[in-house]
Amino acid sequence: MIRYLVRRFLGWLLMIVVATNVTFFLAWGYLDPRSNYVGRRPPLSPDQITQQLLPRNLSDTVPLAERWWNWITAIVLHWDWGVSPVGQVVNEQVAYRMWVSAELVLGATIISTVIGIALGVYTASRQYKLADRVGQATSIITMNINIVVAALGIVLLAIGLNDAVGARVFYVTGSSSQGVTGFFPVIIDALQHLVLPTVALVLIGYASTHFLQRSLLLDNIKADYVRTARAKGLTKSQAIRRHALRTSLIPVATQVAFTIPTVFTGAVLTETIFAWNGMGRYFIQTISTNDIHGTVAIAAFGAFLTAIGALLADVAVVVLDPRVRVS
Amino acid sequence: MTNQQLDPVTMPDAEEGPALKATPRKRMSKWSLYSRRFMRNKPAVAGVIIFILLVLFAIIAPFVAPYDHVELDFLNLGTPPGAEHWFGTTSAGNDTFAQVAIGLQRSLMIAVTVSVGTTAISAIIGTAAAYFGGWTERITLIIIHFMMVIPSFLILAMISNDSGGDWRVIAFIMIFVIGWYFPARVIWTMALSLREREYVHAARYMGVPGMRIVLRHLLPNIGSLLVINFTLGIVSAVMVETGLSFLGFGVKIPDVSLGSLIGSGANTITSAPWLFYFPAAALTLLTVSMALVADGLRDALDPTSAAGGRA
Repeated sequence: MIRYLVRRFLGWLLMIVVATNVTFFLAWGYLDPRSNYVGRRPPLSPDQITQQLLPRNLSDTVPLAERWWNWITAIVLHWDWGVSPVGQVVNEQVAYRMWVSAELVLGATIISTVIGIALGVYTASRQYKLADRVGQATSIITMNINIVVAALGIVLLAIGLNDAVGARVFYVTGSSSQGVTGFFPVIIDALQHLVLPTVALVLIGYASTHFLQRSLLLDNIKADYVRTARAKGLTKSQAIRRHALRTSLIPVATQVAFTIPTVFTGAVLTETIFAWNGMGRYFIQTISTNDIHGTVAIAAFGAFLTAIGALLADVAVVVLDPRVRVS
Repeated sequence: MTNQQLDPVTMPDAEEGPALKATPRKRMSKWSLYSRRFMRNKPAVAGVIIFILLVLFAIIAPFVAPYDHVELDFLNLGTPPGAEHWFGTTSAGNDTFAQVAIGLQRSLMIAVTVSVGTTAISAIIGTAAAYFGGWTERITLIIIHFMMVIPSFLILAMISNDSGGDWRVIAFIMIFVIGWYFPARVIWTMALSLREREYVHAARYMGVPGMRIVLRHLLPNIGSLLVINFTLGIVSAVMVETGLSFLGFGVKIPDVSLGSLIGSGANTITSAPWLFYFPAAALTLLTVSMALVADGLRDALDPTSAAGGRA
């Protein structure tokens, strides 16, 4: 098992390295740090701009191969991902933004998975009854609402609620307030900020799990072994939970693991709307400020998330499916 | 071009025959069977009607609107919806009704272009990889897996930001960067079983060239999947384009799309909410209606569908 995972991990590592390098060259093709200085007052001469960019390994006077070599050796030898055109250290930025995003993405993924599976089981065991029809209709609508519309709609509702109550129940911007101290106040403050973006991500994210779980469970409910379990005297819900659900959880686990990068893309938009300083906003900031090293670091982070998702999917299959034996 | 590939009726090689001949009394053309199954699905029919209305709105509204979408009305800056400006105006005096119509048009054009492109590319690459096997298959799969690892939204944002906001360029990039590889992989797994069928072997032994077998014998048999992929592709293309334009990396001023309209509406969401309501409503109706249509098509076209016997 461990050896199998290590082998898979090495394969993914190779993919990440290649993807990061490709992004490095693409970024140099489409982003130009020199254009940041256009329109400066007083105007800088090309030489002065080169003087500014040269120590940051961002000057296009240096051959591309040499820039690449400087960049890759710094990463391999010192784990140094470079600096932005204005000198921000990429490592520092990613280090704290990562956790801001994780707070949002992990919570939203877990909640939408749990809701999706629960709804899937509930509606599958009541196939074609009212609850099933209502659930299906709701899910198909929420799944196809754009995340931007969902998040902004939630903002409007929250502002309405705040006005109605007359106090700030939910905050619509930022991930925390300044100057809050003490254990419980900090947690309450974090929740006040966290609830709205999480609800937005869950609202559009739970439905795919719901549909998958429902259709898989429907396939399994009619299987012989579930009928056997019923014949042995288990109630319907016991038979579903202990026998049908376990088999049908496997593809769901795979899908959830693979949606982690997708949730991250959704978080780009959510973070922008709710003004969270996570990886998502960093993504926009780096592209609009021609920050090549930052962009590449985000690409590496995204590829890394995909790899983690794929590995988690492998682990989930082995854990859930007793027929799979890897050696 | 795509329609010819998708249309199984013009390729009567494999679909004809035993199933229909076995029950001569209930002979019914494939299309009437499909349409009857589809019509029975009320949400899907509602989806089609909403979608047609939206398309009509996008085409006709610019002609009936009293104002152009770039024209500035300095007497009405940021006015709410009323008789003069049906959907209100922006703070610069743009007519929101005309903007929503043009934005919807732009979003639809991008979505349809992207979806046609990705469906065609994914179908040909997926089936060709499965049919030719060997190195072709191996290299294609490596490329597909590689595309899955690459953060495609980031690359799309980078290139599209550089392209200056021309919707044709954006659509072209979206086809190659975002959409084709995931459906291509699904199609590849389906085509794996098709390549072992007798009629494929027969064609091969008759000396039919490989690419023609792919186009005439493999593709028509995944036609229903392609139709469904096409409808779902429209939904996802709209989603991606909206996200891109919302962030400011997509369609740029003076051109508008639903995403950029929602983006500018988001800044004034408390003071001028109508700038958000109308494009958001158009966008939601568009994606939800297409999803309902895709759902209905899946029920109608799926040969294993439980509804089949009762049609």
